[in-house]
Amino acid sequence: MKDNFFVSFSPHILGKKSTPKLMWRVFFSLIPAGLLGVIIFGLKALWIILLSIITAILTEGLIQGLAKRRITILDGSAALTGLLLAYNLPSTVPFWIPVIGSFFAIAIAKQAFGGLGRNIFNPALAARAFLMACWPFYMTRFSLPFSVDAKTQATVLTLIKDGKISHFSEISLNYLDLFLGFRGGCIGEVAVLALLLGAIYLLYQRIILLHIPLSFMGSLATLSWIFDKQGFFKGDILFSLFSGGLILGVFFMATDYVTSPLTKKGKIIFGLGCGVLTFVIRRFGGYPEGVSYSILIMNAFSSLIDKLIRVKRYGEKKTT
Amino acid sequence: MNLQQFLLIAIGMVFIQNFILSKFLGLCPFLGVSHEVKPAISMGIAVIFVMTFSSIITWLIYRYILIRFDLVYLRTIFFILVIATFVQLTEMVIQKVNLALHKALGIYLPLITTNCAVLGVTFLNIDSFFVNAKPVAGSFLYSVSQGFFAGLGFSLVLLLMASIRERLDLCDTPESLKGVPIAFITASIMSLAFMGFSGFRF
Amino acid sequence: MERKRPLKEFLKGLFRENPVFVIILGLCPALAVSTSVENALGMGVAVTFVLLFSNLIISSLRRVIPEKIRIPCFIVVIASFVTITDLLMKGFFPLVSRGLGIFVPLIVVNCIIMGRAEAYASKNPIFLSVLDGLGMGLGFTLALVVISMVREVLGAGTFLGFLLAKGFRPLTVMILPSGALLTLGLLMGGINLIKKKR
Repeated sequence: MKDNFFVSFSPHILGKKSTPKLMWRVFFSLIPAGLLGVIIFGLKALWIILLSIITAILTEGLIQGLAKRRITILDGSAALTGLLLAYNLPSTVPFWIPVIGSFFAIAIAKQAFGGLGRNIFNPALAARAFLMACWPFYMTRFSLPFSVDAKTQATVLTLIKDGKISHFSEISLNYLDLFLGFRGGCIGEVAVLALLLGAIYLLYQRIILLHIPLSFMGSLATLSWIFDKQGFFKGDILFSLFSGGLILGVFFMATDYVTSPLTKKGKIIFGLGCGVLTFVIRRFGGYPEGVSYSILIMNAFSSLIDKLIRVKRYGEKKTT
Repeated sequence: MNLQQFLLIAIGMVFIQNFILSKFLGLCPFLGVSHEVKPAISMGIAVIFVMTFSSIITWLIYRYILIRFDLVYLRTIFFILVIATFVQLTEMVIQKVNLALHKALGIYLPLITTNCAVLGVTFLNIDSFFVNAKPVAGSFLYSVSQGFFAGLGFSLVLLLMASIRERLDLCDTPESLKGVPIAFITASIMSLAFMGFSGFRF
Repeated sequence: MERKRPLKEFLKGLFRENPVFVIILGLCPALAVSTSVENALGMGVAVTFVLLFSNLIISSLRRVIPEKIRIPCFIVVIASFVTITDLLMKGFFPLVSRGLGIFVPLIVVNCIIMGRAEAYASKNPIFLSVLDGLGMGLGFTLALVVISMVREVLGAGTFLGFLLAKGFRPLTVMILPSGALLTLGLLMGGINLIKKKR
């Protein structure tokens, strides 16, 4: 029943076979950003990406084999999870981090719930939160772009959070650097331009819709503009959108069909929630970046949103 | 009572030190009433109500009876009896005043007596807002808000879990993980997600 | 009534009717104080003590306590022993007591104790009730030790405070609340799996 999840969602008439096609399309739309990440952070980033993907696929196969389910390791969903997890890691992590992370993502966050289409939380993000809780030290060391000796540095958002700088231009970055990805950060999150190209492809193919991205970015940009540290209406909108892992999160993780609400209204609420939470965590929380946590928290809300929206749609009385 | 402290209590009790996900208080009703959304809402309202008023009553008793007569070591017995009596009285009043409400909340009220979240929050109030048997400034209002927001956080997670479990019922979760185990795994990831709020400051 | 064998009554709490893993009672302390094996042992002993004596008293008073107000009576008995335990621990084991925090006075609302009072001690003779209390208490302790062992070894790389392996990067999450929930969920799943295989 839930295998038809994707069919009911998309405007196309798609057969059952379409899940792999869909997953691989999302996978390929992410490759340019990864390539840029490897160019910026060096070959180690490539090994992290490959390790993460291979572990994800092997774990999926192993668990499906043990549980005597149909083995679907080539449908692209495990590979996509591995890829997304690697994109959310700094390039400096030791090699066992992507391995443990991918194992957690597939075994606990996905297969324990019954596999594809049943997971409540985005597996890659759950794994990232797990790794953050286990080894915050490794997860927050970012190398400088194009550095040979793997020098590490805090990201722009961290520096701003710690009050060391008030604007990113103070560490000689400009908007173009942010746009092209020449800054410290996770492997796949920095190349904004490449990510946007991938997103445009997915939008054109109608694989993702605009409801979540627009409400997410809109609410975050508005809030960051109004309630800036420097005073009201002084926030830098472009910076709030291009920094951290926002573009990656907005287009490739918040829009995940399985873990976001089904209805359009629900999607808009989901996006607004993500935006508000991201702003709150960036501005007041202990972590410099809140995109992944916001999406994860809203994942927990999406079943409830679906439930409440659906009740309204049929004109029933409210359940309270 | 200043606003900053108040906000810290609010955010802390709802997200960071959530009673279910971080302090592990009230797990039995959490597992017992989180099968469906509707009862979860009723239970949530009942818990918020009882926790707020228990905070008020136990604070007064502690301040004006136990401390005055030097009976502080009897607080466990006093508090549990007071809460049990209060819950019983509330149930009787609701039954007389509003039958519909009693139908919705009635069966949940007695359950709350043995809910360690209620007794837990009253102990927490005493431990955090009394120093050497003397109330700190704003102690009463802090206690009441801590009771209210702890109840709110409990209800929020209960409601989320109920909606998620309704959805999980439709999925074929692995046989041995069905029911309680998968609820715990879900709660575990939820707890990871709520860690995004840690280190909150204004 | 069929004759109950004392040994069986004692052993059932340990495995077949383990309060935490099988009957799913007393979860709050099982998760909250299982950050280290030491805390788990302290909590287990405290609960066993209270359970033993509350079962003893309630069973010996079972013909005296009126049916209608039995619950308040149970609460008073349990709360008294909890208070005694709390004061004893504060006096003799201040460190353990501080580690367990409000979970010592909260034993009063631990469902295991109320559950055994209502389901067993109020209906059975003294000797069996004591054995039942002891078995259930030890079963609770066993469950706590298993959970805390997983958490301490993985989450801190130590066992009872001793470092196990050098160079091991502990999964800090296991001593955080999230790890407690995960451990219990997976352990319960594992027990279900073993039961099904039999």
